[in-house]
Amino acid sequence: MRRRTFLKGVAATAAVGGPLIVTGRTIAQTRTIYVNTWGGSWTAAEEAAFFKPFTEQTGIRVRTVAPVSYAKLKAQVQSGSYEWDITAVTQADLLRAEREGLVEPIDWTIVKKEKLFPNAVYANGLAYCALGTNLAYRKDKFPQGGPKTWADFWDMKKFPGNRSMYNNAVRAAQFALVADGVPPDKVFPMDVDRAFKKLDQIKPHIKVWWTQGNQSQQLLRDGEVDMMVMWNARASELAQQGHPVEVVWHGAAITTTMWGIAKGAPNRKAAWEFLQFAVQAKPQADFANRLYYGPTNPEAFKFISPEVARQLPTYSENAKVAIRPDTVWEADHTARIQERFTQWLAA
Amino acid sequence: MAGGLSPAATPGAELGVRNARRGQRAAWLLLGPPSLVLTLLFMVPIALMLVTSVTDPRLSLAHYQRIFTVPLYTHVMLNTFVTSLIVTALCLVLGYPVAYVMTRRTDWVSTLLLTIVAMSFWTGFLVRTYAWLVVLGSKGPVIAAYHALGLGGSPPKLLFTSFASTLGMTHILLPYMILALFAVMKKIEPDHLKAAASLGARPRAAFREVFLPLSLPGVVNGSLLVFVICLGFFVTPILLGTPRDMMISQLINQQIEELLAWGFASAVAVVLLVATGIILAVYNRFAGLDRLWG
Repeated sequence: MRRRTFLKGVAATAAVGGPLIVTGRTIAQTRTIYVNTWGGSWTAAEEAAFFKPFTEQTGIRVRTVAPVSYAKLKAQVQSGSYEWDITAVTQADLLRAEREGLVEPIDWTIVKKEKLFPNAVYANGLAYCALGTNLAYRKDKFPQGGPKTWADFWDMKKFPGNRSMYNNAVRAAQFALVADGVPPDKVFPMDVDRAFKKLDQIKPHIKVWWTQGNQSQQLLRDGEVDMMVMWNARASELAQQGHPVEVVWHGAAITTTMWGIAKGAPNRKAAWEFLQFAVQAKPQADFANRLYYGPTNPEAFKFISPEVARQLPTYSENAKVAIRPDTVWEADHTARIQERFTQWLAA
Repeated sequence: MAGGLSPAATPGAELGVRNARRGQRAAWLLLGPPSLVLTLLFMVPIALMLVTSVTDPRLSLAHYQRIFTVPLYTHVMLNTFVTSLIVTALCLVLGYPVAYVMTRRTDWVSTLLLTIVAMSFWTGFLVRTYAWLVVLGSKGPVIAAYHALGLGGSPPKLLFTSFASTLGMTHILLPYMILALFAVMKKIEPDHLKAAASLGARPRAAFREVFLPLSLPGVVNGSLLVFVICLGFFVTPILLGTPRDMMISQLINQQIEELLAWGFASAVAVVLLVATGIILAVYNRFAGLDRLWG
């Protein structure tokens, strides 16, 4: 089943082909919207949960363009030629884009406020799903019990073994502060100097600083590392494939991925119709059942089995022990911290 | 070529001038479209990039100041050039003998080598990069061989080192070098070497005095090709190397994709372009760029 939907996703992506410029004329005839997506299993899950049912309901066709490119959002708005209407980005990125005037304001004639859940709207986008950035480890390497906190991740004596972290400055600093004993509600605004001091301790033990989701899975699957920072659905996918992988929710970072529409996108009316549809409980649940990123609409849990729910970032037991980053602080400081982090890595 | 301004003394000369003029016009007609394409798709964007680097987000030279004052950027820039030089040298040392054998042998050996090189050339570089992850990985054949030989102790760290990154890039760029060398070596007349031998040159002397100098355009061509492609590499060092092996294009990508800092990214790109230009100019001064075209 998963494989078939995946193939369908590939076929749909292939049908769109290479870069495609949407002009005003082509869309008037067909009513098609273009969605910027991650490709692979992500797009396959979207295809089944959002695109197909939406087309059946409205007759509006959905085409996808992969992979997600934040820079293209800016390029499209600046050049006025659009490859896609909708994209999915993190909340902090959406906020920065909105400040630069790259995002279409919500069309309240189409989006119905009463049909939205609390916190659905942010920076002129709608909440898509919640993504966990977790500590994951190989159970077979720790028969006496694996690490349970970031302090354990930092503890080379109690938990020896190869480690890998996500090459992302804010996330790395966040985990370092938690490991250093900062209470969850005091992590933001960050004491950046303290975070880097703590990161100094772990740096020699980090075998790889990964940048891509596929790469992170390969590291844990092949046993290159024993524990690592990983996106929750990526880790769950490994466990589903039969690898002895355990996901830790304590101190995990939960960020919200947002849907946003490029300012001036030619199909924005139909795009808002689609987003209104996509944030409803049923499609959100269908997506979460396929890819273990959490629904943002609390009602969606009605359609999700307890076994799956326990693995989702927005499941109350998980969300309780995890940390939600301060989006505004992150948007304001990302560039600075990223520069310092990159320099720190290269030194 | 002063456009035929001198008065024609004889009818024959006038005809010659007219022919020359027609030839010139034809040349311009032929040059027109490619020049236009190059201007529109190459010169204009580069000019825009230059403008962006000093105007985005406001008119200032602050981006350039940052590049030369924050140690990270000078470090990455330097690393990019040093890595490219090392990879180019390795490709040349490894590729020259292969291209030589491919040229000198006329039988199946040559065909086999050419097939292998071409297949390697056509295999996607991402595939080859991931292949190295397996080969050098902790469950890969290299580590397995280490254990099988009973060398004892913990095996050396291969993956996620500068060594792995350099190895991967050399492997990916080697076919470019070999094919560039082969194209030039193939044109060297075998009779030249026979002539050298008939004049008493031993094989080694014939190679040194005749073949090597004639193959230099290929060396130059291949080296420049590999060097320039290497300057723009970034996926392979990310996947196989350490953060210390960061290349400049990775930095530019990060600025564009993650931070939307197009002004700064443009400034980095301009510095890279100018630095490459300087290298080519120095090279041109001492070796001559026209050698590139054989």
